Amino acid sequence: MNATLRLSLPLTLWLAAFSAVYGLHGLLCSSRWATIAPEVPGRALLVGAALVAVALQVMLLAVLRSSRWPHPSVAIHGISLTLAAAAVVGTAWTLLPVLATSHCL
Amino acid sequence: MNALRRHRALSRIWASDPGLKGWFTTVNHTDLGRMFLLVATSFFVVGGILAMLIRAQLASPRSAFLGPDHYNQIFTMHGTIMMFLFAIPFFEGLAVYLLPKMLGTRDLAFPRLTAYGFWCYVFGGSMMIFALLAGLAPDSGWFMYPPLSSTIGAPGINSDFWLIGITFVEISAISAAVEITVTVLRYRAPGMSLSRMPIFAWYALVTAVMILTGFPPLILGSILLELERAFGLPFFQVAQGGDALLWQHLFWLFGHPEVYIIFLPAAGAISTILPVMARTTLMGYGWIVAAAVSLGVLSFGLWVHHMFTTGIPHMGLAFFSAASTLVAVPTAVQIFAWIGTLWKGRPEMHLPMLWLLAFFATFVIGGLTGVMVAIVPFDWQAHDTYFIVAHLHYVLVGGFVFPMIAALYYWMPHFTGRKTYFKLGHAAFWLVVPGFHGTFLALHWAGLLGMRRRIDSYEAGQGWETINIIASISGFVMAIGFALVLIDVVVNAVVAIRGSRDPWGAGTLDWAMPTPAAPYNFASLAHVTSREPLYDDPELPVRLARGEGYLGDPAGGRRETLAVDIATGEPRYVVIFPGNTALPVLMSAITGLFFLGMLLKAYWLVPISALGVIGCVLVWVWGLGQRAPEGHLPVGRGLSLPTAAEAADPPGWWGSVFLLLANGTFFGSLLFGYAFLFSIAPNWPPPAYLEPGVLPLVLVLAGAGLAFLGPRFGTLMGQSAAFFGLALIAGAALPVLSESPDPTLHAYDATVWVFVGYGLLHCLVSILMWSAVGLRRLSGHSAGTTLGATRIARLWSDYTLLVALLTTAAIGLPGVLT
Repeated sequence: MNATLRLSLPLTLWLAAFSAVYGLHGLLCSSRWATIAPEVPGRALLVGAALVAVALQVMLLAVLRSSRWPHPSVAIHGISLTLAAAAVVGTAWTLLPVLATSHCL
Repeated sequence: MNALRRHRALSRIWASDPGLKGWFTTVNHTDLGRMFLLVATSFFVVGGILAMLIRAQLASPRSAFLGPDHYNQIFTMHGTIMMFLFAIPFFEGLAVYLLPKMLGTRDLAFPRLTAYGFWCYVFGGSMMIFALLAGLAPDSGWFMYPPLSSTIGAPGINSDFWLIGITFVEISAISAAVEITVTVLRYRAPGMSLSRMPIFAWYALVTAVMILTGFPPLILGSILLELERAFGLPFFQVAQGGDALLWQHLFWLFGHPEVYIIFLPAAGAISTILPVMARTTLMGYGWIVAAAVSLGVLSFGLWVHHMFTTGIPHMGLAFFSAASTLVAVPTAVQIFAWIGTLWKGRPEMHLPMLWLLAFFATFVIGGLTGVMVAIVPFDWQAHDTYFIVAHLHYVLVGGFVFPMIAALYYWMPHFTGRKTYFKLGHAAFWLVVPGFHGTFLALHWAGLLGMRRRIDSYEAGQGWETINIIASISGFVMAIGFALVLIDVVVNAVVAIRGSRDPWGAGTLDWAMPTPAAPYNFASLAHVTSREPLYDDPELPVRLARGEGYLGDPAGGRRETLAVDIATGEPRYVVIFPGNTALPVLMSAITGLFFLGMLLKAYWLVPISALGVIGCVLVWVWGLGQRAPEGHLPVGRGLSLPTAAEAADPPGWWGSVFLLLANGTFFGSLLFGYAFLFSIAPNWPPPAYLEPGVLPLVLVLAGAGLAFLGPRFGTLMGQSAAFFGLALIAGAALPVLSESPDPTLHAYDATVWVFVGYGLLHCLVSILMWSAVGLRRLSGHSAGTTLGATRIARLWSDYTLLVALLTTAAIGLPGVLT
C-alpha cells in the first residue's frame, strides 16, 4: 500500500464514519422521517452504525500492521499505525454519544 | 565552469524582468513570496488600526467615538481582514518563499499560478479596502449570518462586497494550496523521501490539503447567498423552503478547519525554529507528523461546536463536544514534543526563541479555554460573549501571530542577507506580550460578567468599565509594540551589516544557499540522505555552488528542475518552467472584472470577462509542453531522465487531481446542503418535485457512456466521442430547465438550477479541454507529448460525467419516488 494512502486512509475513514452517523442521526430525528417510517428503531440503527464504524477501523489497523502490506520506510509505517490507532480511539470516543445521550431531544 | 560563471548564467535564465515591469511579470517564487508577505503585513496594519478603533470606542461606557453603523463595519472588517487578508495569505507567502528552498528545488510547481493567485489576492483585497474607505464595508459580522446579511437585514451593497470580494480572494488560497500540495509531493531534492522531509513541509502539506477541502463549503455558501441577494433564489429564506442554519453549517464547515489552517503553519515554523534555537534536533518527528495529520482531519469534525446554541438535538451536540475535546490530544502531543526538544537541547535566548516562549504561554491558555467552550453547558453560558472573543484571540494571536514573528526574525537574515543588528525587537516584545495579555486576559472576565460581543456601547454600572479601560490601554501598548516590530524589521533590512550564510547553524536546505537567495535558489540540486543535510555535510552549499549536484549545467538556457517519486524521492523527470510573463496579472485583472460585474450588477460584463478568462487560459495552456519528444536528457551524477512533457503524470495532472479534490468538496457540500434542506428545513416538500421525463435521462446516460468509453480507445475518434458525449449531457439541461419552475419560488427549484448550472459549467470546461487536446494534435504535437494533456482532459471528463449522474439522481429521484 503506498505511503499517501496509508497515511490518509485511517482518519479519512473516521471523518466519513463520523459524518455518516451524524447524518443518519439528523435523518432519523427529522420530522419527515417520522412520517415516512415511524416504526424504525432509531437508536438501534445508530448504535449499529457506530459499531460498524469501530469494527472497520480495527480492521484497517490490523491490515496496516499485517506483513502482507508492508512499507519499506519504518517512519511511514510507524506514523500510519499511530494514525490508525488514533482513528480507532477517535471513532469510539466521538460516537460514544449514541449510547450515552438522549436520542432526538 | 566555475561557481561565479555558473551563478551568472543561471541568473540570466531565472532572473525577473528589471525595473517596474518585473513586479508585474515575475513568476519567481522568491519575488512572489516576498510580495505576498509585504501585502499581507500591510493588511495586518489596516486590521490592527481597526482593532484600535474598536478599543477606543469600548474604552468607556456610552462612548460616542463611533456610531453603530461605522462600528458594525469596523468590527466586521477587522475580523475579515485578519482572517482572509492577513493570516492565510501570510502563510501562503511564507510557504511560497520557503518551500522550494527547504525542499531543495528551484521553484514551485506552477510558477504562473503563484503569480495569478497573488494578483487575485491583491485585487480582491483592494476591493474590500475600497469598500471600507467608501463607507460601504460589510457590516454583518465576519461570519455573515443570514438573515442579518440577507437583503432583509442588509439591503445595501455592503454584504455583496464581502461575498464577492472574499470569493475572489479565495481563488488565491485554492491556487496556493494546489501549488503547495504538488510541490511538496513531487518537487523535492532527489533522495528526499517523505520521512526525510523538513517538518515545515509536512505542516504545509496538511494545511494545503485542508485549504482544498475547507474553503469550498464557504465558496458554495457565498455563491448561494449572493444568488439569493442578487436574484432572489431563496436558499436561506424559511418561508420558501430555505433555512438560515444552512449558512451556519456551510460557514463553519470552513470556519473551524480555518482555525487549524492558521495554526498548523505556525506549528510548522515552531517545529523548525525551536530545535535550532535549542541546539538539537526535533524530538518525536514521527509523532509530530501524526499529530499534524490528526489535527488536520479531526478539525473537520468540530464545526457544530460553533452552533451549540442553535437548538440541535443533544446527541448531535454530544458528537461535536466529544470531537472538540479529542482535538486537544494531538495538540498536546505537539506541545510535549516541543517541551521535550527544549529539554534535550541547550536553548539560547535569541529573539525568535523569546517569541516562541510567548507562544507557549499564550496558546496553552487559549487551548484550555477552548476545551472549556467545547463543553456544551459552559458554551451555552459563554456563547457570543467577550469570553469567546478573548479565547479566539489567545488562539489566533498566540497560535499564529507570535510564532510568525518568531519566523520573521528567524528567516530575516535569509530574506535580507543581513545580520540582525539593532535590538528594537526586544523592546517590541516586552510591549506586545504584556499588552496582549492585559487586553485579552481581562476580556475573559468581561465575557463572564455578561458583556456581549459586537456591542458598540454599554451602560455604566455593569462592572465592565475597569476591565474595558485596562483592555483598551493594554491594546494600545500592544499596537505600539507591533509598530516597533515593523520599524525594527525595516531598519534591519535596510541598514544592518551583511551577515553569514547560516547564522543560526540550522541543518535544513534553505540555508544551503547564499543570502539573499539567487533567483534559481541552488546552482545544482542536492542528493539528500537525511532530514538535516547541512549537519551531515557542512560543505554541501559549496559543492552545490560548484555544480556538483543535479542540473548544474546551465547550457540549455532553460529553467529546469527535477520532479521526484512521492514516497521515495527518486528523480523521475525534468520539469521545464515557463519564463516571465504578464499573463497572470492580466488574467487576474480580467477575473476581477468578472467579480466586479457581479458586484455592480453590470451583468453584461460577466460573460465578456468570462470569455476573456477562457482566452487567457487557452494562451496559457498552449505554451505548455513540447511538440516532439526530446528523449532522455542528462541531469548530472550519471543520470538521464525524460522531460515532464513526455510523462503520463505531468505536474498538470497532479494539479488537476488536487483541484478536483477541492471541486469535489464543493459538489459534496452542495449535496449536503440539498440533503439538509430536504430533511431539516421547514416548508418542505416543495409544491411539486421535478419530473423531467425520459429524454434527459437518455441524454445523460448516452452522453456518459460516450464520454467514459471514448477516451479509453486512445484515438482521435475516441476523443471526439468524448466531446459529443459531453455535448449530449449539456443538452440534457434544456428539457430539465424548461420543466423546472421559477427558481425564486422555492429552495428546491433554486437548488435544481444550481445543480444544472454546475453540471453545465463542467461540461463546458471538459469540452474546451478536449478541444485543446485535439487542436494540439492537429497542429503537429506528437502523441507522446500530448499523453499528459489527454489524461488531464480524461480526468475532468470523468469527473463531469460523475457529476451528471449524481445530479440526475439527486434532482430526479424525489419526483420519481413521490
